[in-house]
Amino acid sequence: MIDFLHPWALAGLAAAAIPVLLHLLARREPPTVSFPAVRYLVATTREHQRRLKLQHLLLLLLRTLLIVALVLAAAGPTLPRRGVPGHAPSALVLVVDNSPSSGVVVAGTPRLRELRAAARRVLARATPEDALWLLTADAVPRRGDRQTLLDQVDALPVSPRRMDLGAALGLAGEVLAAESRPGEIALLTDLQASAVSPADLAVPLLVGRPEEPPPANVGIARLETGPQPWGAGGGRLTVSLAGDSGGGTPVSARLGTRPPRQALAHVGGAAVLAIPGVPSGWWDAEAQLDPDELRLDDRRVGVVRVAPVARVSWDSAGRFAAAACEVLEANGRIARGGEVSLGRLARGSSIVQPPDDPAALGALNRALAARGTAWRFGPPMREAAATDSGPLVGRVRVLRRYQLQPTGSGRTGVLATVAGGAPWLVRSGNVVLLGSRLEPSWTDLPVSAGFMPFMDALVNRLARGEVSLADGAPGDPVTLPDLVSGVRQGERGWRVEGGGVFRPNEPGAYYLLAGEDTVGAITANIDPRESLLAAAGDAQVRRLWKDARVVSLADAGDAAFSSAARGDLRGPLLWAALLLALGEMALASLWRRQPR
Amino acid sequence: MHFPVAPPARPRLDLLDPFEVSKLGGLEVITEGVVEGFLAGIHRSPRRGFSVEFAEHRMYQPGDELRYVDWKILGRHDRLYVKQFEEETNLRAMVVCDASRSMAWSGSPENVLPKLAYAQRLIAALSLVLLRQRDATGLITFDDDVRTVLPPRARLSHWRQLVAMLAALEAGQGTAAEPALRRVVHHLRRRGLVVFVSDLLLDRDLALKALRFLRHRGHQVLVLHLMDPAEVELGGPAEARFEDPETRAAVVLRPRDWAGAYHETVRAVVHEWRLACRRHGIAYHRVTTDTPYGVVLREALAPSPRAA
Repeated sequence: MIDFLHPWALAGLAAAAIPVLLHLLARREPPTVSFPAVRYLVATTREHQRRLKLQHLLLLLLRTLLIVALVLAAAGPTLPRRGVPGHAPSALVLVVDNSPSSGVVVAGTPRLRELRAAARRVLARATPEDALWLLTADAVPRRGDRQTLLDQVDALPVSPRRMDLGAALGLAGEVLAAESRPGEIALLTDLQASAVSPADLAVPLLVGRPEEPPPANVGIARLETGPQPWGAGGGRLTVSLAGDSGGGTPVSARLGTRPPRQALAHVGGAAVLAIPGVPSGWWDAEAQLDPDELRLDDRRVGVVRVAPVARVSWDSAGRFAAAACEVLEANGRIARGGEVSLGRLARGSSIVQPPDDPAALGALNRALAARGTAWRFGPPMREAAATDSGPLVGRVRVLRRYQLQPTGSGRTGVLATVAGGAPWLVRSGNVVLLGSRLEPSWTDLPVSAGFMPFMDALVNRLARGEVSLADGAPGDPVTLPDLVSGVRQGERGWRVEGGGVFRPNEPGAYYLLAGEDTVGAITANIDPRESLLAAAGDAQVRRLWKDARVVSLADAGDAAFSSAARGDLRGPLLWAALLLALGEMALASLWRRQPR
Repeated sequence: MHFPVAPPARPRLDLLDPFEVSKLGGLEVITEGVVEGFLAGIHRSPRRGFSVEFAEHRMYQPGDELRYVDWKILGRHDRLYVKQFEEETNLRAMVVCDASRSMAWSGSPENVLPKLAYAQRLIAALSLVLLRQRDATGLITFDDDVRTVLPPRARLSHWRQLVAMLAALEAGQGTAAEPALRRVVHHLRRRGLVVFVSDLLLDRDLALKALRFLRHRGHQVLVLHLMDPAEVELGGPAEARFEDPETRAAVVLRPRDWAGAYHETVRAVVHEWRLACRRHGIAYHRVTTDTPYGVVLREALAPSPRAA
């Protein structure tokens, strides 16, 4: 199938009619000359007429073909061509999978080094007329010339970000969709089975994969720190392993700089390590494995908040909230006291539910206004809705609620919403307002499994002005709570705007600051699926990515551009045009000379 | 010291460019000038030879060769008579002039006479030469039919009539030479001379057939093939529609591309005419209308038509 680099130039084919038009115009009305010896002219032309007609037609054909050849050359036609070293100008997206799994060391060589070498071989075949992009795990297509991309490939590190290969191929396809040149994707990857996902491709795909099977690997899939905050008595760190090693693996975990605790864990299981009590504050938690071929998944971090349990007064909290508080008290998560008042507006921190009697709403709003609270209760809403699936509440049904209305122009302090974004749980200063009473006739939350963790977080953290802890992968966007004004990781810090998005680029613990106070934390760890190094089979690849050509990394250089390699017809066409021009000149001069 | 000064030489009109000569005066005057020049340029008329067939006597006139003096009569009657022979006295010439439309054409009217105008002057000059030799000379003109016929007469005054007919001659339409040539036999009952002046843009086979017929009747036939120089060398605009003024046949071509081939065709046509004429004992001369009349007369009046 012939493709064209500049198909718009084909409009010039209309110019092929120029010789015919000129011929017709030139023949239209020649002047008439009286000439008695016409019979001699007739005799002369009769003899040469057939040859001249042939020459005329041949000249016309040559001139038309000359224009057609030039126009076609301008349009840049290409033809599929295999087994030849050159290729037509193409667009190539080089996808290098530098996800964490590419950091695995196989036979003493990092897998990424093989990928980089293969990438260099692919780029070595590129010509200055090719359009080149480099796409890595950061999901940012970078366009550049060959040398630029070679430099980038040479400097390419192992990324902490996972690369979903199907998504990456889709992105590469979008990049090529805007390109007029024939496109091709060259994917150089360890072909992790867990990273392979379907992709609908409209361009040829070359997959370069390592020939050696991946080594057995064990990594830390999760590090759970349990309910927060921890009390003075310490807490437990739960470490889950992922991978394909069958034996027990020693796991160590520690809090801050405290001596690590060790345990033996198995892939698919979890090791629980009891951590003794530490002083109040924010603590880095870290779990580690003994080093293996993939180092990136041998360490995982978390954040532990250590603080005294909240002293809560729940006398007017309602039956379900009171029952929950009693359970939390029995488990040492809260204590009776006046630090936090649950259910009504009190002098200190208060968690306020709407009154059961609507007549009391006005007095409550006046009290909130007197307290300087930025929120008030609005009119009742009776239609059923659901909460926002956030980490704090999850998704539960809300049957009745009061609208929560900001008293000012802003809308800060929203902790949870119902569908449509209407505030359902808000905080202003040390007052937390609930849009619904914690009763089954108002919401399903009291009878859901998440009620106890919610109540724990509500009284221990939210009422104290803290935010929820978030866990994600490097590069994932995290929406910051309204009150956050800065982010700190070790010695580094970022000024941020509350409500904005923050992307932790590296694995680690990122603390959220509200002024000088630490109000929460984000932990970023590599995706646990990166620990699963098993590679997908070629058949699976071809099933998911239609017409993909799978070659070894060593052969990727030679195979690149060949699936989409198309013979550039511009050269032959220009040569043909030159020959046609020479033929035209020769024939025209012959024509003028020959009858004499 | 004085040297004798030679009188200024009169220009010989027979050797001048016909177009220039045509500017000097009327047909009659010019023709006389041409013939005077022509006769002055030769020492003997090529037809002044006397045949061996005796015809009659006439009084001796100064200039007559003494060998033709009849000494017997001188002896008997003491009078000088010279013997006249058949050819001298009985040569009857008929000029057949093509007056078709094609003859009125000139490729360059500013520089070259039309073929008909050239023919008029040439025929007038030729007739004068013949009549001065006391050869009876007639004229037939034709286009697509015979238009005028002037029977041959030997009187010198006959030339005036002939010139008047020529002067009144205008180009007609088509060309049909055969009737005119066959008409000649009505006026040349004995052997005579037929001068056929035409551009030969006619039916060659028919014309040759008629010419052969004349030869068969014992006449000497002289064909003067008139051609305009522009008919020999093709020229014109870059591309033109060439149209025959007689038949309206036309052909469109680029003269520059076809000049060479056309020249070859003309050369071949002339060659074919020459061969065909020679084959039948017909004298043939191709005459371009820029050729001085004297040159043509010299060729036309050469001793043997077969040598032409």
